[in-house]
Amino acid sequence: MNSSGERPVVDVAFQGGGAISAAEKGDRAKILKRLRFGDNAFRHVTRAAAIAVLIILSGIIFSLVYGAMPAMQKFGITFLFDESWNPVTERFGAIAPIYGTVLTSLIAMLIAVPIGLFIALFLTELCPMWLRRPIGIAVELLAGIPSIIYGIWGLFVFAPFLQQHVQPFLISLFGNVPVLSNLFAGPPYGIGILTAGLILAIMVLPFITSISRDVFEAVPPMLKESAYGLGCTTWEVARYVVLPFTRVGVIGGVMLALGRALGETMAVTFVIGNAHRISGSILAPGTTISATIANEFTEAVGDIYTSSLILLGLILFVITFIVLAFARLMLMRLNARLGK
Amino acid sequence: MATLASGASSPLYAKRRRKNAVAMTLAYLATGFGLTWLALILGVLFYEGFSGLSWRVFSEMTPPPGASGGLLNPIIGSLVMTFLAVLMGTPLGILAGTYLAEYGRYDKLSSVVRFINDILLSAPSIVIGLFIYELMVAQMGHFSGWAGAVALAVIVVPVVVRTTEDMLTLVPDTLREAAASVGLPRSLMIQKVAYRAARAGMITGVLLAIARISGETAPLLFTALNNQFWTNDMNAPVASLPVVIFQFALSPYKDWQELAWTGALIITMAVLALSITARFLGGERKKS
Amino acid sequence: MSTANYTVPTVAANPGNADNLVEKITVKNLDFYYGDNRALKNINVSLYHGRVTAFIGPSGCGKSTLLRVLNRMYDLYPNQRATGTVRLDNDDILAPSQDLNLLRAKVGMVFQKPTPFPMTIYENIAFGIRLYEKLSKPDLDNRVQQALQRAALWNEVKDKLDANGLSLSGGQQQRLCIARTVAVRPEVILFDEPCSALDPISTAKIEELIDELKEDYTIAIVTHNMQQAARVSDFTAFMYLGELVEYGETTRMFTSPSDRRTQDYITGRFG
Repeated sequence: MNSSGERPVVDVAFQGGGAISAAEKGDRAKILKRLRFGDNAFRHVTRAAAIAVLIILSGIIFSLVYGAMPAMQKFGITFLFDESWNPVTERFGAIAPIYGTVLTSLIAMLIAVPIGLFIALFLTELCPMWLRRPIGIAVELLAGIPSIIYGIWGLFVFAPFLQQHVQPFLISLFGNVPVLSNLFAGPPYGIGILTAGLILAIMVLPFITSISRDVFEAVPPMLKESAYGLGCTTWEVARYVVLPFTRVGVIGGVMLALGRALGETMAVTFVIGNAHRISGSILAPGTTISATIANEFTEAVGDIYTSSLILLGLILFVITFIVLAFARLMLMRLNARLGK
Repeated sequence: MATLASGASSPLYAKRRRKNAVAMTLAYLATGFGLTWLALILGVLFYEGFSGLSWRVFSEMTPPPGASGGLLNPIIGSLVMTFLAVLMGTPLGILAGTYLAEYGRYDKLSSVVRFINDILLSAPSIVIGLFIYELMVAQMGHFSGWAGAVALAVIVVPVVVRTTEDMLTLVPDTLREAAASVGLPRSLMIQKVAYRAARAGMITGVLLAIARISGETAPLLFTALNNQFWTNDMNAPVASLPVVIFQFALSPYKDWQELAWTGALIITMAVLALSITARFLGGERKKS
Repeated sequence: MSTANYTVPTVAANPGNADNLVEKITVKNLDFYYGDNRALKNINVSLYHGRVTAFIGPSGCGKSTLLRVLNRMYDLYPNQRATGTVRLDNDDILAPSQDLNLLRAKVGMVFQKPTPFPMTIYENIAFGIRLYEKLSKPDLDNRVQQALQRAALWNEVKDKLDANGLSLSGGQQQRLCIARTVAVRPEVILFDEPCSALDPISTAKIEELIDELKEDYTIAIVTHNMQQAARVSDFTAFMYLGELVEYGETTRMFTSPSDRRTQDYITGRFG
């Protein structure tokens, strides 16, 4: 593409053929120079924009580390293990929000992953053709609904419903079972860890479904046919051929969803209860990193308080970064296998 | 030739069929389960949202507790901040995506940028709020509409980078070669030919980015903050629909809660409309 | 390939005495539709036990479609349907009550491209066996070995049974797929252009294999390669535009075809 010394093709484009006089040659040299300049400039601008993406990431990391510095200096590594969260004495620790973050996401994944995979199986193997598109589109649209909608619905509809109907039942059901009775200890608040986990599950469900459906659809039809050709049932084809073939992709998709769940703010903040303690019961109120920040940041007074919240944000970022990086690596491996 | 060791009546085969039947039932149930929840959410949203929907919502400011009012200032605030965010984020995203697809498709920088961009794509938005707080609010000493817009722009960038790259990669090389063979320099080839060929897809990307940020709450909480009144000053705190919903929903006042539902309905409708338009435009194209 | 015969390929051995042939699959008045498009028109044909029947014809003539009717593979897709009767022994293949899993275990299929499952070589074979039989480990090992020997692959893979099936070469993968099919003990094996993705040496091995397998099975093969049809088959069916134009012993089909279109096709005048 570089127009070097000899007669470049550009000439033809600008001249429409014919002989070229000496004067025109001079003009053309000028045009060429300008073009070359523009070419280089554009290239460098795009390159700078690409680098800007890296700068954004470094900016996030730098600003979080900078803002978290006072808290890091004051608490050191104990911040990670301290359960107290006391703005008055200015003693802060992250273990309760970390616990809440991990537990709510875990509940969400336990519920949403199997259901999402089964829906994807339904969409790729069972669903009548005419229904595939509508359901597929519905799933994708729902994946795009803002999380605050899930939050407000959780607060006004889901939490009261759980409080009145589901939680009392759970408490009495497991009341006499060892271990489980602690896990489902009352009273029924409605809001709490379990509610937040369930809302998260509903929220990431379309997400998991949509990714696993895409991944399942990438299985070569002939491979599936050869399994059917042996006399496999639909379930056997899915279990022994489709799932193993797409395993890395499914893991990648699940990790991506996990990254979403861990960092999700609004769907959780409404229904988590914002209590800085670790309770054995999943019916009890708790908090997550993002909910703590959302609830308290603007009201935080004092450097240490603010800084502790930013340190929480840094911890969240590190956790999600690791999860998301892992997810991307898995998805890249699947694509490499498919030769994309 | 040995015949099949087991026919339709063999216990092994019966067990396989049972397993299959169970799994298939589960697949149907799972789909029903998922769709039920989503129908419930949308159903309640429409029911609660529509009952509060009136002309006043679009013509009056947010009320103090106990009074009646509308959502005019947060709607305008959201529109303005979204507009500014797209204005800032889109060019950057398109240019970066162009580099990834056209100039550095295989170089080291691109693979790093691609990886980081994919992570930014799903990074927790509240962290982006903290970033802009540190970058702008803490430096300037006050919350501002600008800070909110920049926070949203940071979310726009990775979405646009991704779709731009994907769409440009779909442009066939023969088209590039044809452009080169009439003497177009590379930059012009990209601007005049590749962009044009990928235009629908790139617009889709921008629409998806708008859909994404129009519901974002977390990054606005401590950048744009909130404002009960009308403001023309982007240097002052600015109300936005999601933040107002957050505040009103958690309040004890009935009127506020009702407005929160109505606001939620407006956002959802906007997001759905954007996604459907984006789908329609991106139509036959395969997703990434 | 002999230099003397450009237009008339060499012909397989005499299919034998027509009197003691056993009909395994009988197709009567078969029509097949993709939506409203009639892809097969009134097909009548029989497949015999211990014989290889080749289906030839230009692309899109319906030969693969016909094959996919015989194990109801088309059932996986919507808007595809078949009418008429297709009998396997005395069993109606097209009956709605037909158990597809059992049918497909009886009517095995080998595809255009090798399709090893994402598991080890051993598991690729054992997987199919386990579907229908509960065997002890030594018995299972035995069956896997038999199947691999049957597919002339045993010597090449016996030391790496735990390797992934995808690590084999294309020709080996295709023989693995044949072993997998044989392991389930089918009665009929359908080959859908089994060599179209293979090099000449691998192709020769597969053809040899088909020749050995035909003693025990009923075999149908779709092929684009007329030489191949002539080499491996006892009977040949020529299909054109969804119709079965001519059907008969391969020897006769390639030396004195009765239909003008068959003659044109095998002499390379079209297709």
